[in-house]
Amino acid sequence: MTIRKYIALVRAGIMESLHFRLGTAVTLFANLIYLVLVYFLWKAVYASSGTDVVNGMTFTDTMIYLILATALFNFLEMFVVWDMSRSIQSGAIILDLLKPMKYRSYTFWKYSGSHVSQFILAFVPTFIVVMIVTKGAIPIGLNLVKFMVSVVLAQIVNFGIEMLVATLCLYTESTWGINIVKETIVLVLSGASIPLAFFPESIRNIISWMPFRAIYDIPLQVLLNKGGSDTLAGLAKLWGMQLGWCVILTVAGVIFWKISVRKITVNGG
Amino acid sequence: MSKKRGLKFYLSIYRKILIQDLKSKMSYRADFVISTIGMIMTNLAGFITFIVLFHNFPTINGWDLNHMLFLYGFSLLALTPVQCFFDNNWNLRTHVYSGDFIKYCFRPVNIFFYFMSEVFDVKGLGQLAFGLGTLIYAWAKIGIPVTFLTVGQALVFTFTASLFMIAIMNVAAATCFWIQGSGYVMVIMFRFKDFARYPASIFNSVFKAIFTFIIPIAFVAYYPSLVFLQPDNVPVLTWLSPLIGLVFFFLSYAFWMLGVRKYDFTGS
Repeated sequence: MTIRKYIALVRAGIMESLHFRLGTAVTLFANLIYLVLVYFLWKAVYASSGTDVVNGMTFTDTMIYLILATALFNFLEMFVVWDMSRSIQSGAIILDLLKPMKYRSYTFWKYSGSHVSQFILAFVPTFIVVMIVTKGAIPIGLNLVKFMVSVVLAQIVNFGIEMLVATLCLYTESTWGINIVKETIVLVLSGASIPLAFFPESIRNIISWMPFRAIYDIPLQVLLNKGGSDTLAGLAKLWGMQLGWCVILTVAGVIFWKISVRKITVNGG
Repeated sequence: MSKKRGLKFYLSIYRKILIQDLKSKMSYRADFVISTIGMIMTNLAGFITFIVLFHNFPTINGWDLNHMLFLYGFSLLALTPVQCFFDNNWNLRTHVYSGDFIKYCFRPVNIFFYFMSEVFDVKGLGQLAFGLGTLIYAWAKIGIPVTFLTVGQALVFTFTASLFMIAIMNVAAATCFWIQGSGYVMVIMFRFKDFARYPASIFNSVFKAIFTFIIPIAFVAYYPSLVFLQPDNVPVLTWLSPLIGLVFFFLSYAFWMLGVRKYDFTGS
Protein backbone atom coordinates (compact mmCIF):
# COMPACT_ATOMS: atom_id res chain seq x y z
CA MET A 1 0.00 0.00 0.00
CA THR A 2 2.66 2.49 0.99
CA ILE A 3 4.64 1.85 -2.16
CA ARG A 4 1.58 2.60 -4.27
CA LYS A 5 1.03 6.02 -2.83
CA TYR A 6 4.68 6.93 -3.42
CA ILE A 7 4.46 5.79 -7.01
CA ALA A 8 1.32 7.85 -7.48
CA LEU A 9 3.15 10.94 -6.21
CA VAL A 10 6.17 10.30 -8.43
CA ARG A 11 3.82 9.93 -11.39
CA ALA A 12 2.06 13.19 -10.57
CA GLY A 13 5.43 14.92 -10.34
CA ILE A 14 6.44 13.56 -13.76
CA MET A 15 3.19 14.74 -15.35
CA GLU A 16 3.46 18.14 -13.75
CA SER A 17 6.99 18.75 -14.97
CA LEU A 18 6.19 17.51 -18.47
CA HIS A 19 3.54 20.17 -18.62
CA PHE A 20 6.26 22.83 -18.67
CA ARG A 21 8.11 21.58 -21.72
CA LEU A 22 8.74 25.09 -23.00
CA GLY A 23 10.50 25.86 -19.76
CA THR A 24 12.75 22.83 -20.19
CA ALA A 25 13.56 23.80 -23.77
CA VAL A 26 14.42 27.36 -22.78
CA THR A 27 16.55 26.10 -19.91
CA LEU A 28 18.47 23.87 -22.30
CA PHE A 29 19.04 26.78 -24.67
CA ALA A 30 20.19 29.02 -21.83
CA ASN A 31 22.59 26.33 -20.66
CA LEU A 32 24.05 26.06 -24.11
CA ILE A 33 24.89 29.75 -24.19
CA TYR A 34 26.13 29.59 -20.63
CA LEU A 35 28.42 26.70 -21.57
CA VAL A 36 29.82 28.78 -24.43
CA LEU A 37 31.07 31.25 -21.85
CA VAL A 38 32.45 28.49 -19.63
CA TYR A 39 34.21 26.96 -22.63
CA PHE A 40 35.88 30.19 -23.75
CA LEU A 41 36.81 31.19 -20.24
CA TRP A 42 38.54 27.92 -19.39
CA LYS A 43 40.14 27.72 -22.80
CA ALA A 44 41.70 31.10 -22.14
CA VAL A 45 42.65 29.98 -18.65
CA TYR A 46 44.42 26.84 -19.84
CA ALA A 47 46.01 28.65 -22.78
CA SER A 48 47.57 31.16 -20.39
CA SER A 49 48.79 28.59 -17.89
CA GLY A 50 51.26 26.96 -20.25
CA THR A 51 50.69 23.44 -18.90
CA ASP A 52 48.08 20.90 -19.89
CA VAL A 53 47.38 19.51 -16.45
CA VAL A 54 46.50 21.73 -13.52
CA ASN A 55 45.81 20.12 -10.15
CA GLY A 56 45.39 16.77 -11.87
CA MET A 57 42.71 18.14 -14.21
CA THR A 58 43.15 18.54 -17.95
CA PHE A 59 41.10 21.04 -19.94
CA THR A 60 38.82 18.20 -21.06
CA ASP A 61 38.40 16.98 -17.47
CA THR A 62 37.48 20.48 -16.32
CA MET A 63 34.98 20.93 -19.12
CA ILE A 64 33.32 17.57 -18.47
CA TYR A 65 33.20 18.34 -14.77
CA LEU A 66 31.67 21.78 -15.22
CA ILE A 67 29.20 20.82 -17.95
CA LEU A 68 27.92 17.84 -16.05
CA ALA A 69 27.82 19.89 -12.84
CA THR A 70 25.54 22.36 -14.64
CA ALA A 71 23.41 19.50 -15.96
CA LEU A 72 23.20 17.98 -12.48
CA PHE A 73 22.34 21.38 -11.08
CA ASN A 74 19.41 21.72 -13.46
CA PHE A 75 18.14 18.31 -12.73
CA LEU A 76 18.49 18.55 -8.97
CA GLU A 77 17.13 22.08 -8.79
CA MET A 78 14.27 22.35 -6.33
CA PHE A 79 11.97 25.17 -5.45
CA VAL A 80 10.97 23.88 -2.05
CA VAL A 81 11.86 27.22 -0.48
CA TRP A 82 9.69 29.17 -2.94
CA ASP A 83 6.86 26.63 -2.86
CA MET A 84 6.75 26.60 0.88
CA SER A 85 6.81 30.35 1.35
CA ARG A 86 4.15 30.77 -1.29
CA SER A 87 1.87 28.23 0.32
CA ILE A 88 2.45 29.81 3.71
CA GLN A 89 1.44 33.20 2.34
CA SER A 90 -1.62 31.85 0.57
CA GLY A 91 -2.54 29.52 3.41
CA ALA A 92 -2.50 26.47 1.14
CA ILE A 93 0.08 24.85 3.39
CA ILE A 94 -2.74 23.91 5.76
CA LEU A 95 -4.10 21.55 3.12
CA ASP A 96 -0.71 19.89 2.75
CA LEU A 97 -0.35 19.54 6.49
CA LEU A 98 -3.74 17.89 6.74
CA LYS A 99 -2.87 15.24 4.18
CA PRO A 100 -2.60 11.72 5.61
CA MET A 101 1.11 11.76 4.90
CA LYS A 102 4.08 13.55 6.41
CA TYR A 103 4.68 16.89 4.67
CA ARG A 104 8.33 15.99 4.27
CA SER A 105 7.84 12.73 2.45
CA TYR A 106 4.98 14.18 0.42
CA THR A 107 7.30 16.91 -0.90
CA PHE A 108 10.15 14.47 -1.43
CA TRP A 109 8.19 12.01 -3.53
CA LYS A 110 6.49 14.72 -5.52
CA TYR A 111 9.86 16.17 -6.42
CA SER A 112 11.27 12.73 -7.21
CA GLY A 113 8.86 12.59 -10.12
CA SER A 114 10.14 15.79 -11.63
CA HIS A 115 13.71 14.61 -11.01
CA VAL A 116 13.05 11.46 -13.01
CA SER A 117 11.71 13.36 -16.00
CA GLN A 118 14.42 16.03 -15.78
CA PHE A 119 17.05 13.33 -15.62
CA ILE A 120 15.82 11.76 -18.81
CA LEU A 121 15.00 14.97 -20.67
CA ALA A 122 17.94 17.14 -19.66
CA PHE A 123 20.74 15.16 -18.10
CA VAL A 124 20.91 12.12 -20.36
CA PRO A 125 21.02 14.16 -23.63
CA THR A 126 23.70 16.42 -22.19
CA PHE A 127 25.67 13.41 -21.06
CA ILE A 128 25.49 11.77 -24.48
CA VAL A 129 26.57 14.98 -26.24
CA VAL A 130 29.52 15.36 -23.87
CA MET A 131 30.44 11.73 -24.39
CA ILE A 132 30.44 12.07 -28.17
CA VAL A 133 32.24 15.42 -28.25
CA THR A 134 35.01 14.34 -25.88
CA LYS A 135 35.40 11.01 -27.70
CA GLY A 136 35.71 8.60 -24.82
CA ALA A 137 37.13 10.85 -22.14
CA ILE A 138 34.38 9.56 -19.86
CA PRO A 139 35.09 5.96 -18.90
CA ILE A 140 32.16 3.66 -19.58
CA GLY A 141 31.67 0.72 -17.27
CA LEU A 142 30.80 -0.03 -13.71
CA ASN A 143 31.34 3.64 -12.84
CA LEU A 144 27.99 4.50 -14.47
CA VAL A 145 26.17 2.27 -11.99
CA LYS A 146 28.16 3.71 -9.10
CA PHE A 147 27.37 7.18 -10.41
CA MET A 148 23.63 6.46 -10.34
CA VAL A 149 23.84 5.36 -6.70
CA SER A 150 25.78 8.52 -5.93
CA VAL A 151 23.22 10.70 -7.68
CA VAL A 152 20.39 9.24 -5.65
CA LEU A 153 22.32 9.92 -2.45
CA ALA A 154 23.11 13.43 -3.75
CA GLN A 155 19.43 14.04 -4.31
CA ILE A 156 18.64 13.11 -0.71
CA VAL A 157 21.39 15.38 0.62
CA ASN A 158 20.16 18.22 -1.59
CA PHE A 159 16.62 17.70 -0.40
CA GLY A 160 17.82 17.71 3.21
CA ILE A 161 19.47 21.09 2.76
CA GLU A 162 16.42 22.44 0.91
CA MET A 163 14.05 21.37 3.67
CA LEU A 164 16.23 22.81 6.43
CA VAL A 165 16.37 26.15 4.63
CA ALA A 166 12.70 26.09 3.68
CA THR A 167 11.75 25.57 7.31
CA LEU A 168 13.38 28.93 8.02
CA CYS A 169 10.57 30.45 5.95
CA LEU A 170 8.23 29.69 8.82
CA TYR A 171 10.10 32.34 10.80
CA THR A 172 10.67 35.04 8.19
CA GLU A 173 9.03 36.09 4.96
CA SER A 174 12.30 36.94 3.27
CA THR A 175 12.18 34.19 0.68
CA TRP A 176 14.37 35.87 -1.91
CA GLY A 177 17.10 36.58 0.63
CA ILE A 178 17.12 33.13 2.21
CA ASN A 179 17.06 31.40 -1.13
CA ILE A 180 19.90 33.42 -2.64
CA VAL A 181 22.10 32.82 0.41
CA LYS A 182 21.49 29.06 0.19
CA GLU A 183 22.05 28.96 -3.56
CA THR A 184 25.31 30.88 -3.37
CA ILE A 185 26.75 28.75 -0.60
CA VAL A 186 25.79 25.51 -2.31
CA LEU A 187 27.13 26.57 -5.71
CA VAL A 188 30.53 27.68 -4.45
CA LEU A 189 31.18 24.96 -1.88
CA SER A 190 29.85 22.03 -3.91
CA GLY A 191 32.15 22.50 -6.86
CA ALA A 192 29.40 23.52 -9.26
CA SER A 193 30.95 26.87 -10.22
CA ILE A 194 34.63 25.92 -9.95
CA PRO A 195 35.98 22.39 -9.53
CA LEU A 196 36.94 21.73 -5.92
CA ALA A 197 40.34 20.47 -7.08
CA PHE A 198 41.30 24.10 -7.76
CA PHE A 199 40.79 25.31 -4.21
CA PRO A 200 43.91 25.74 -2.05
CA GLU A 201 44.77 22.66 -0.01
CA SER A 202 43.80 23.99 3.42
CA ILE A 203 40.40 25.29 2.30
CA ARG A 204 39.73 22.12 0.36
CA ASN A 205 40.26 20.08 3.52
CA ILE A 206 37.55 22.04 5.29
CA ILE A 207 35.16 21.96 2.33
CA SER A 208 35.57 18.22 1.91
CA TRP A 209 33.91 17.68 5.29
CA MET A 210 30.87 19.79 4.43
CA PRO A 211 27.65 18.34 3.02
CA PHE A 212 27.69 20.47 -0.15
CA ARG A 213 30.39 18.38 -1.72
CA ALA A 214 28.10 15.37 -1.58
CA ILE A 215 25.75 16.98 -4.10
CA TYR A 216 27.96 17.65 -7.13
CA ASP A 217 31.57 16.86 -6.44
CA ILE A 218 31.26 13.26 -5.23
CA PRO A 219 28.95 12.00 -8.03
CA LEU A 220 31.20 13.60 -10.64
CA GLN A 221 34.36 12.17 -9.08
CA VAL A 222 32.73 8.76 -9.13
CA LEU A 223 31.69 9.19 -12.75
CA LEU A 224 35.20 10.19 -13.84
CA ASN A 225 36.83 7.42 -11.76
CA LYS A 226 38.71 10.03 -9.72
CA GLY A 227 39.16 10.80 -6.06
CA GLY A 228 39.93 7.17 -5.23
CA SER A 229 36.50 5.97 -6.36
CA ASP A 230 38.04 3.22 -8.48
CA THR A 231 39.08 1.31 -5.37
CA LEU A 232 36.64 -0.32 -2.99
CA ALA A 233 37.95 1.51 0.06
CA GLY A 234 37.86 4.87 -1.70
CA LEU A 235 34.35 4.29 -2.95
CA ALA A 236 33.20 3.22 0.50
CA LYS A 237 34.61 6.44 1.92
CA LEU A 238 32.80 8.64 -0.63
CA TRP A 239 29.51 6.80 -0.29
CA GLY A 240 29.86 6.67 3.48
CA MET A 241 30.24 10.40 3.50
CA GLN A 242 27.12 10.91 1.37
CA LEU A 243 25.16 8.45 3.45
CA GLY A 244 26.31 10.11 6.68
CA TRP A 245 25.08 13.49 5.50
CA CYS A 246 21.79 11.96 4.34
CA VAL A 247 21.17 10.72 7.87
CA ILE A 248 22.36 13.86 9.66
CA LEU A 249 20.41 16.25 7.44
CA THR A 250 17.25 14.16 7.54
CA VAL A 251 17.27 13.85 11.32
CA ALA A 252 18.09 17.54 11.78
CA GLY A 253 15.44 18.52 9.25
CA VAL A 254 12.72 16.42 10.87
CA ILE A 255 13.48 17.80 14.35
CA PHE A 256 13.70 21.40 13.13
CA TRP A 257 10.41 21.02 11.25
CA LYS A 258 8.67 19.53 14.30
CA ILE A 259 9.72 22.47 16.44
CA SER A 260 8.93 25.08 13.82
CA VAL A 261 5.63 23.89 12.46
CA ARG A 262 3.87 25.18 15.56
CA LYS A 263 5.05 28.63 14.57
CA ILE A 264 3.04 28.75 11.35
CA THR A 265 0.98 31.86 11.07
CA VAL A 266 -1.35 31.97 8.15
CA ASN A 267 -3.15 35.16 7.30
CA GLY A 268 -6.82 34.78 8.02
CA GLY A 269 -6.32 31.20 9.07
CA MET B 1 1.03 63.03 -23.45
CA SER B 2 -0.64 66.37 -23.76
CA LYS B 3 1.99 68.68 -22.33
CA LYS B 4 5.75 68.53 -22.24
CA ARG B 5 6.98 68.67 -18.68
CA GLY B 6 10.43 69.57 -17.49
CA LEU B 7 13.00 67.44 -15.74
CA LYS B 8 12.27 69.27 -12.51
CA PHE B 9 8.67 68.12 -12.54
CA TYR B 10 9.69 64.50 -13.02
CA LEU B 11 12.36 64.67 -10.32
CA SER B 12 9.90 65.98 -7.77
CA ILE B 13 7.41 63.24 -8.65
CA TYR B 14 10.13 60.61 -8.44
CA ARG B 15 11.08 61.84 -4.97
CA LYS B 16 7.52 61.58 -3.76
CA ILE B 17 6.98 58.07 -5.10
CA LEU B 18 10.36 56.95 -3.80
CA ILE B 19 9.54 58.06 -0.27
CA GLN B 20 6.29 56.08 -0.35
CA ASP B 21 8.10 52.99 -1.59
CA LEU B 22 10.79 53.23 1.09
CA LYS B 23 8.17 53.68 3.78
CA SER B 24 6.43 50.48 2.77
CA LYS B 25 9.77 48.66 2.58
CA MET B 26 10.66 49.77 6.10
CA SER B 27 7.80 47.72 7.46
CA TYR B 28 9.65 44.57 6.39
CA ARG B 29 12.93 45.26 8.10
CA ALA B 30 14.01 41.61 8.50
CA ASP B 31 13.46 41.06 4.80
CA PHE B 32 15.63 44.05 4.00
CA VAL B 33 18.48 42.81 6.21
CA ILE B 34 18.39 39.24 4.88
CA SER B 35 18.12 40.37 1.25
CA THR B 36 21.08 42.69 1.69
CA ILE B 37 23.11 39.85 3.21
CA GLY B 38 22.09 37.67 0.26
CA MET B 39 23.21 40.32 -2.21
CA ILE B 40 26.58 40.67 -0.49
CA MET B 41 26.94 36.87 -0.43
CA THR B 42 26.44 36.54 -4.19
CA ASN B 43 29.04 39.21 -4.79
CA LEU B 44 31.38 37.54 -2.34
CA ALA B 45 30.90 34.22 -4.12
CA GLY B 46 31.87 35.76 -7.45
CA PHE B 47 34.87 37.27 -5.73
CA ILE B 48 35.95 33.94 -4.20
CA THR B 49 35.68 32.26 -7.61
CA PHE B 50 38.05 34.90 -8.97
CA ILE B 51 40.56 34.44 -6.18
CA VAL B 52 40.53 30.66 -6.50
CA LEU B 53 40.99 30.92 -10.26
CA PHE B 54 43.98 33.23 -9.91
CA HIS B 55 45.41 31.06 -7.18
CA ASN B 56 46.00 28.48 -9.92
CA PHE B 57 46.57 30.68 -12.95
CA PRO B 58 48.47 33.97 -12.67
CA THR B 59 46.98 35.51 -15.82
CA ILE B 60 44.02 34.90 -18.09
CA ASN B 61 44.50 35.95 -21.66
CA GLY B 62 47.04 38.54 -20.57
CA TRP B 63 44.80 39.92 -17.83
CA ASP B 64 46.19 39.67 -14.31
CA LEU B 65 44.20 39.63 -11.08
CA ASN B 66 44.10 43.40 -10.60
CA HIS B 67 42.92 44.08 -14.14
CA MET B 68 40.22 41.44 -13.78
CA LEU B 69 39.17 42.94 -10.45
CA PHE B 70 38.91 46.32 -12.14
CA LEU B 71 36.64 44.79 -14.74
CA TYR B 72 34.63 43.05 -12.04
CA GLY B 73 34.20 46.19 -9.94
CA PHE B 74 33.32 48.22 -13.02
CA SER B 75 30.66 45.71 -14.07
CA LEU B 76 29.11 45.75 -10.58
CA LEU B 77 28.88 49.54 -10.69
CA ALA B 78 27.43 49.55 -14.18
CA LEU B 79 24.86 46.96 -13.11
CA THR B 80 23.71 48.94 -10.08
CA PRO B 81 21.26 51.30 -11.84
CA VAL B 82 19.35 48.46 -13.48
CA GLN B 83 19.09 46.78 -10.07
CA CYS B 84 18.09 49.91 -8.15
CA PHE B 85 15.90 51.89 -10.52
CA PHE B 86 14.53 49.41 -13.04
CA ASP B 87 13.69 46.48 -10.80
CA ASN B 88 9.98 46.88 -11.45
CA ASN B 89 10.54 45.33 -14.88
CA TRP B 90 10.37 42.00 -13.07
CA ASN B 91 6.77 42.76 -12.07
CA LEU B 92 5.64 43.97 -15.48
CA ARG B 93 4.50 40.51 -16.53
CA THR B 94 2.24 40.10 -13.49
CA HIS B 95 0.71 43.53 -13.94
CA VAL B 96 0.03 42.92 -17.62
CA TYR B 97 -1.55 39.49 -17.17
CA SER B 98 -3.67 40.48 -14.22
CA GLY B 99 -4.86 43.61 -15.97
CA ASP B 100 -3.53 45.88 -13.24
CA PHE B 101 -1.34 47.55 -15.80
CA ILE B 102 -4.23 49.65 -17.01
CA LYS B 103 -3.86 51.92 -13.99
CA TYR B 104 -0.58 53.25 -15.33
CA CYS B 105 -2.21 54.23 -18.59
CA PHE B 106 -4.53 56.65 -16.82
CA ARG B 107 -1.83 58.73 -15.13
CA PRO B 108 -0.98 62.07 -16.70
CA VAL B 109 2.75 61.28 -16.67
CA ASN B 110 5.00 59.22 -18.89
CA ILE B 111 3.98 55.57 -18.41
CA PHE B 112 7.50 54.17 -18.55
CA PHE B 113 8.70 56.72 -16.02
CA TYR B 114 5.79 56.18 -13.68
CA PHE B 115 6.04 52.41 -13.80
CA MET B 116 9.78 52.33 -13.11
CA SER B 117 9.63 54.93 -10.35
CA GLU B 118 7.29 52.77 -8.33
CA VAL B 119 10.05 50.48 -7.09
CA PHE B 120 13.46 51.38 -5.80
CA ASP B 121 15.46 48.29 -4.96
CA VAL B 122 17.47 49.04 -1.84
CA LYS B 123 19.59 45.90 -1.95
CA GLY B 124 21.25 47.23 -5.08
CA LEU B 125 23.10 49.59 -2.76
CA GLY B 126 25.03 46.66 -1.28
CA GLN B 127 26.22 45.87 -4.77
CA LEU B 128 27.16 49.50 -5.29
CA ALA B 129 29.32 49.50 -2.17
CA PHE B 130 30.97 46.21 -3.09
CA GLY B 131 31.64 47.33 -6.66
CA LEU B 132 33.02 50.67 -5.56
CA GLY B 133 35.35 49.01 -3.06
CA THR B 134 36.64 46.53 -5.64
CA LEU B 135 37.11 49.23 -8.26
CA ILE B 136 39.00 51.56 -5.93
CA TYR B 137 41.23 48.71 -4.75
CA ALA B 138 42.06 47.66 -8.31
CA TRP B 139 42.46 51.28 -9.39
CA ALA B 140 45.07 51.87 -6.67
CA LYS B 141 46.88 48.56 -7.31
CA ILE B 142 47.19 49.15 -11.02
CA GLY B 143 48.30 52.72 -10.35
CA ILE B 144 45.89 54.57 -12.61
CA PRO B 145 46.46 58.30 -11.99
CA VAL B 146 43.72 60.14 -10.14
CA THR B 147 43.05 63.30 -12.13
CA PHE B 148 39.99 65.30 -13.07
CA LEU B 149 40.10 63.64 -16.45
CA THR B 150 40.21 60.01 -15.27
CA VAL B 151 37.60 60.47 -12.55
CA GLY B 152 35.36 62.34 -14.97
CA GLN B 153 35.80 59.59 -17.54
CA ALA B 154 34.99 56.98 -14.93
CA LEU B 155 31.74 58.75 -14.05
CA VAL B 156 30.67 59.21 -17.66
CA PHE B 157 31.58 55.70 -18.72
CA THR B 158 29.95 53.89 -15.79
CA PHE B 159 26.81 55.92 -16.38
CA THR B 160 26.63 55.13 -20.07
CA ALA B 161 27.69 51.50 -19.52
CA SER B 162 24.72 51.06 -17.21
CA LEU B 163 22.39 51.92 -20.11
CA PHE B 164 23.20 48.66 -21.89
CA MET B 165 21.93 46.34 -19.18
CA ILE B 166 18.89 48.56 -18.66
CA ALA B 167 18.16 48.29 -22.38
CA ILE B 168 18.51 44.49 -22.34
CA MET B 169 16.16 44.16 -19.39
CA ASN B 170 13.62 46.59 -20.86
CA VAL B 171 13.39 44.56 -24.03
CA ALA B 172 13.24 41.27 -22.10
CA ALA B 173 10.47 42.56 -19.86
CA ALA B 174 8.49 44.09 -22.73
CA THR B 175 8.28 40.73 -24.51
CA CYS B 176 5.46 39.94 -22.07
CA PHE B 177 3.19 42.22 -24.10
CA TRP B 178 3.43 39.72 -26.94
CA ILE B 179 4.19 36.29 -25.54
CA GLN B 180 2.97 34.28 -22.60
CA GLY B 181 5.35 32.98 -20.00
CA SER B 182 8.03 35.52 -20.77
CA GLY B 183 9.55 35.08 -17.35
CA TYR B 184 12.14 32.77 -18.84
CA VAL B 185 13.32 35.48 -21.22
CA MET B 186 14.09 37.75 -18.31
CA VAL B 187 15.84 35.07 -16.29
CA ILE B 188 18.10 34.18 -19.21
CA MET B 189 18.89 37.77 -20.05
CA PHE B 190 19.66 38.47 -16.43
CA ARG B 191 22.09 35.58 -16.40
CA PHE B 192 24.01 37.26 -19.21
CA LYS B 193 25.14 39.94 -16.82
CA ASP B 194 27.62 37.44 -15.40
CA PHE B 195 29.34 37.37 -18.77
CA ALA B 196 30.06 41.06 -18.42
CA ARG B 197 32.84 40.59 -15.91
CA TYR B 198 35.14 38.72 -18.29
CA PRO B 199 37.23 40.35 -21.01
CA ALA B 200 35.43 39.96 -24.33
CA SER B 201 38.80 39.19 -25.90
CA ILE B 202 38.48 35.58 -24.71
CA PHE B 203 35.69 34.93 -27.22
CA ASN B 204 36.19 34.04 -30.85
CA SER B 205 35.06 36.59 -33.42
CA VAL B 206 31.54 35.21 -33.88
CA PHE B 207 30.65 35.28 -30.20
CA LYS B 208 32.47 38.55 -29.71
CA ALA B 209 30.23 40.09 -32.38
CA ILE B 210 27.12 38.57 -30.77
CA PHE B 211 28.00 39.89 -27.34
CA THR B 212 28.87 43.31 -28.76
CA PHE B 213 26.01 44.11 -31.11
CA ILE B 214 23.14 41.72 -30.44
CA ILE B 215 23.30 41.19 -26.69
CA PRO B 216 25.61 44.09 -25.88
CA ILE B 217 27.12 42.82 -22.64
CA ALA B 218 30.68 43.50 -23.82
CA PHE B 219 29.81 47.18 -23.42
CA VAL B 220 28.86 46.78 -19.76
CA ALA B 221 32.46 46.58 -18.57
CA TYR B 222 34.96 45.43 -21.17
CA TYR B 223 34.92 48.26 -23.71
CA PRO B 224 34.59 51.16 -21.26
CA SER B 225 37.29 49.72 -18.99
CA LEU B 226 39.83 49.80 -21.80
CA VAL B 227 39.98 53.59 -21.38
CA PHE B 228 41.72 53.00 -18.06
CA LEU B 229 43.43 49.67 -18.62
CA GLN B 230 44.91 50.24 -22.08
CA PRO B 231 45.07 54.04 -22.38
CA ASP B 232 47.48 53.86 -25.33
CA ASN B 233 45.38 51.54 -27.37
CA VAL B 234 41.71 52.38 -26.99
CA PRO B 235 39.43 50.91 -29.65
CA VAL B 236 36.99 53.16 -31.48
CA LEU B 237 34.05 51.21 -30.04
CA THR B 238 35.06 52.39 -26.58
CA TRP B 239 34.81 56.05 -27.51
CA LEU B 240 31.54 55.40 -29.29
CA SER B 241 30.09 53.38 -26.39
CA PRO B 242 28.30 56.34 -24.68
CA LEU B 243 26.53 57.10 -27.93
CA ILE B 244 25.73 53.45 -28.62
CA GLY B 245 24.42 53.18 -25.06
CA LEU B 246 22.00 56.02 -25.63
CA VAL B 247 20.85 54.45 -28.89
CA PHE B 248 20.29 51.05 -27.24
CA PHE B 249 18.43 52.66 -24.37
CA PHE B 250 16.23 54.68 -26.68
CA LEU B 251 15.44 51.64 -28.84
CA SER B 252 14.50 49.57 -25.79
CA TYR B 253 12.31 52.41 -24.55
CA ALA B 254 10.59 52.60 -27.92
CA PHE B 255 10.04 48.84 -27.88
CA TRP B 256 8.62 49.01 -24.36
CA MET B 257 6.24 51.81 -25.31
CA LEU B 258 5.21 49.92 -28.43
CA GLY B 259 4.15 47.11 -26.14
CA VAL B 260 2.15 49.55 -24.03
CA ARG B 261 0.38 50.85 -27.11
CA LYS B 262 -0.46 47.31 -28.15
CA TYR B 263 -1.82 46.69 -24.65
CA ASP B 264 -3.99 49.80 -24.96
CA PHE B 265 -5.46 48.61 -28.20
CA THR B 266 -6.54 45.23 -26.88
CA GLY B 267 -8.36 47.18 -24.23
CA SER B 268 -8.23 44.29 -21.84
